Amino acid sequence: MAQVAKVKFVWRIVDLVVGGIFIYAGAIKALDPIRFASDIDNYKILPWMIAAGLAFYLPWLEILCGLALISRRLYLGGLSILTALTSVFILAAVAAKIRGLDITCGCFGHASKSWNFSGHLALDLAILAALLALYFKVASGNRLRNAV
Amino acid sequence: MRQALLLAALAFIPGIGEAIYFRDKVSWQSPIPASEMVTQTQARAWRENTIWVDARPDAEFEREHIPGAVLLNEDRWNELLPQFLTVWSPEKRVVVYCSSQSCNASREVARRLRDEAQLKNVFVLQGGWEEWLKSRK
Repeated sequence: MAQVAKVKFVWRIVDLVVGGIFIYAGAIKALDPIRFASDIDNYKILPWMIAAGLAFYLPWLEILCGLALISRRLYLGGLSILTALTSVFILAAVAAKIRGLDITCGCFGHASKSWNFSGHLALDLAILAALLALYFKVASGNRLRNAV
Repeated sequence: MRQALLLAALAFIPGIGEAIYFRDKVSWQSPIPASEMVTQTQARAWRENTIWVDARPDAEFEREHIPGAVLLNEDRWNELLPQFLTVWSPEKRVVVYCSSQSCNASREVARRLRDEAQLKNVFVLQGGWEEWLKSRK
């Protein structure tokens, strides 16, 4: 029983850490959406108008999804969106690197400006791994419940 | 799926609110408003009233730069800004450039000169260094 409680506690910590990271990342970008628009534009994937629109929208989406993870309300929805966002971001960053673009990811606003590409990628992959682990934990929990 | 849609819809509310709040500060047509962009011909016409600012990394600046340009990049902002301010004077126009039309550094340096150093008459060179090289050929 104590073992189960310990495992639950560890998963809860993962929820809080991952949720906290996205709330922080979203808040920093929401404070300076113009800089974030410029960071999105730097990937040269989207027209400026869409980049600017996303710069106002994405930070709040990250914040809400982070809150969903922490509060466990709309949990699966938040988890799905964050997994999709992180995956898209990793693909865009790798594609930009291959195209030789000098990108600033903008994931943590100005705080991450001096990070190098491998540092960014390692952090993003770690976040993606945590999100996928949470997702499969929920899925396996649901399967168990359905079996019972 | 329904939860994800609900979250995606909810995020529009603060997003739209913020877009309204920043409506005067963001240009929806181009990352750099036309009033902050300058062509080479215009900048050259200002002659000695122009301060060229090279926002590229140190190594690229050392390789070659626009004659008379001052190095000011974000990597060494705190160190280079005081050096730039020694050549700056209020009547001069500052023209910032980076490697090409697609680079971001000139935009960022120009923005910081306006916001942090409170300078006026700061412009971004259209086409950047790439365009300068073409015109030299």
